[in-house]
Amino acid sequence: MPQVRIIAKNFMDMVAALPAMKLDMLYDNTFICEAVLRSLPPLAKKYVLQFLFIDDPVTAKSMEEWVLVDGFSKHRVAIDRLIQLRVFLEITDRKKEISYKLNPKFQGNLRKYLVHGSVLASLASFLHSFSCNFICSQFAYHSGALPREPMPSNITVRLPTLEELDVYALEQWEDRGVDPADLISFLLELSFHATGQAYNLNTLTDVQIHTLKDLADLGLVKLQQGRKESWFIPTKLATNLSMSLTDSSSRKEGFVVVETNFRLYAYSTSKLHSEILRLFSRVEYQLPNLIVGAITKESLYNAFENGITSEQIISFLQQNAHPRVAERTPSVPENVADQIRLWETDLNRVEITPAHFYDEFPSKVVFEAASDYAREIGGFLWEDSKKMRLVVNADVHAQMREFIRQQK
Amino acid sequence: MASVPSKLYTDDVSLVVVLLDTNPFFWGATTFPFSEFLRHVLAFLNSILLLNQLNQVVVIATGLSSCDYVFDSSAPSKVEGLESGRMPVLYSRVLQRLEEFVGSDERSVRSNGGRRRGGTLAVVGVVGLLDIQRVFRSGALHPQPRGSPDGPEQYVAVMNAIFSAQRSMVPIDSCVIGAQHSAFLQQASYITGGVYLKPPKLDGLFQYLSTIFATDLHCRSFLQLPKPVGVDFRASSVFGQANPETTATTTDRKRKALEV
Repeated sequence: MPQVRIIAKNFMDMVAALPAMKLDMLYDNTFICEAVLRSLPPLAKKYVLQFLFIDDPVTAKSMEEWVLVDGFSKHRVAIDRLIQLRVFLEITDRKKEISYKLNPKFQGNLRKYLVHGSVLASLASFLHSFSCNFICSQFAYHSGALPREPMPSNITVRLPTLEELDVYALEQWEDRGVDPADLISFLLELSFHATGQAYNLNTLTDVQIHTLKDLADLGLVKLQQGRKESWFIPTKLATNLSMSLTDSSSRKEGFVVVETNFRLYAYSTSKLHSEILRLFSRVEYQLPNLIVGAITKESLYNAFENGITSEQIISFLQQNAHPRVAERTPSVPENVADQIRLWETDLNRVEITPAHFYDEFPSKVVFEAASDYAREIGGFLWEDSKKMRLVVNADVHAQMREFIRQQK
Repeated sequence: MASVPSKLYTDDVSLVVVLLDTNPFFWGATTFPFSEFLRHVLAFLNSILLLNQLNQVVVIATGLSSCDYVFDSSAPSKVEGLESGRMPVLYSRVLQRLEEFVGSDERSVRSNGGRRRGGTLAVVGVVGLLDIQRVFRSGALHPQPRGSPDGPEQYVAVMNAIFSAQRSMVPIDSCVIGAQHSAFLQQASYITGGVYLKPPKLDGLFQYLSTIFATDLHCRSFLQLPKPVGVDFRASSVFGQANPETTATTTDRKRKALEV
């Protein structure tokens, strides 16, 4: 049984949460095997490769012998992940010894892959950066650098948050009873389509068409109604999702340098980058391969109004840090990161808590006892001892009422 | 001489430079056919590329008198790459280039009047290192080369290559095929902190390659890898005075270097 539960919700965790049957079905698809393999921790990948041509189970004990003492926790994490994803099957024999073997389907597909074929790199990158790319896509929404077409009113009125996009797939499965296996395969397939090409809806299943409509809402595809037939066209955003995998090397190689004086230098020729930077900074010069800007309070307020959070901005700056500064920790100067957060909290000065208001206490003693009691149980919010008024958190109202009744 | 402590790597992105010995005299004399060998190596290259989309593989072939790039996964090849049927692009490209290479190597040996120029291992090592340097400068990947045959006249050049590798913290892994151990490669791997292995069973070559040589540098810090049983340092002094008789037999090894 897995001993380490990974809490972070990313695409692969969703995959891991699927029931065994579904997972096994997914592994019929070589793309998915490859994507899953690439998502594994380094040590786990290595184990898979090592097991690829071994048919007999290998005992857990002998595997542990490969590991140095320092690496034991990594080993544990790797094995747990492999079991969660059902890449490794756990076998307990008569002597209660645990051994592992590769999921036969997974093994078969990867063997075939190694000997016969290679899969486009973009697929795995798509999955890989499925969640981390959303920040980029969200920026892209604001920047208007993307094709305008797929922006239905519900999106423009209320911009999707990062979480909304991120759990999109999950919601699909739970709310609509869509078969997750279908959905994942479809998302994967989509990433292989060429941008700007029209694809006929005829070939798709109902579920896929349904999904496609949601994707259109997210700006990933554009739907086109013909007289008889309908088409869908993957947008630049969809390409961005998958391209960032192929060009993830360039993405990996960041381009932004942030200085402690809030100046920002971006070595990029990309229009999208410049638009993204413009969302939260004031661009001062634009040279052929360099964008110089400054992070100002005003520019950030603009971003916050558009629904971009300080954490998104900071993580964008961190993820795209120029290699020179990326070596440093933190890659974004602390004072800049802190100031961005402070400016955001400036906007959220009012916090709303459901509460109950008490007044007309019979005596000072009762009032003070009640006030002390509220503090004790952690529900105290505000008091005015002169006028004997007290405000407590709504959660503790029942307890307070009980307490005051007893006092009387 | 102590082997260098390896650099710390936080991810498993690898640049693997594989130096392939295609010496026909060796392959003609060994019981393990070259085609068989290539099958294992190709699957191995493919598996490196499979593990991480940022991984890079460079293959350099060394023949009797020359060496050349056979494959570079970072080279753009999108045009033919997308749908080239069942045969992976990687394989067809490697095979095709390898054939061209062997042909041109043969011609150059002929035109040389059958005399072998020494030092291909060293040249190849240097070429590999240059490539790694290039990548280092352009990005932060971790490299790995592999070497070729022992020939006394190459000693100084080979050592220079090894020291450069050590200086740039590039581990040299060696996989020796053939009957004898290679002192040069033992030293190279020892000094640069790589793995030296002479697989006892060549049928399962892929298993050795994938189990040991495909281990990225990040994972190496917490796995048990084969330790050198003994390093033949004797070569350093003995080979210093070139011994002409050994020349003909020195090329009977294959080695590979890999990695992260």
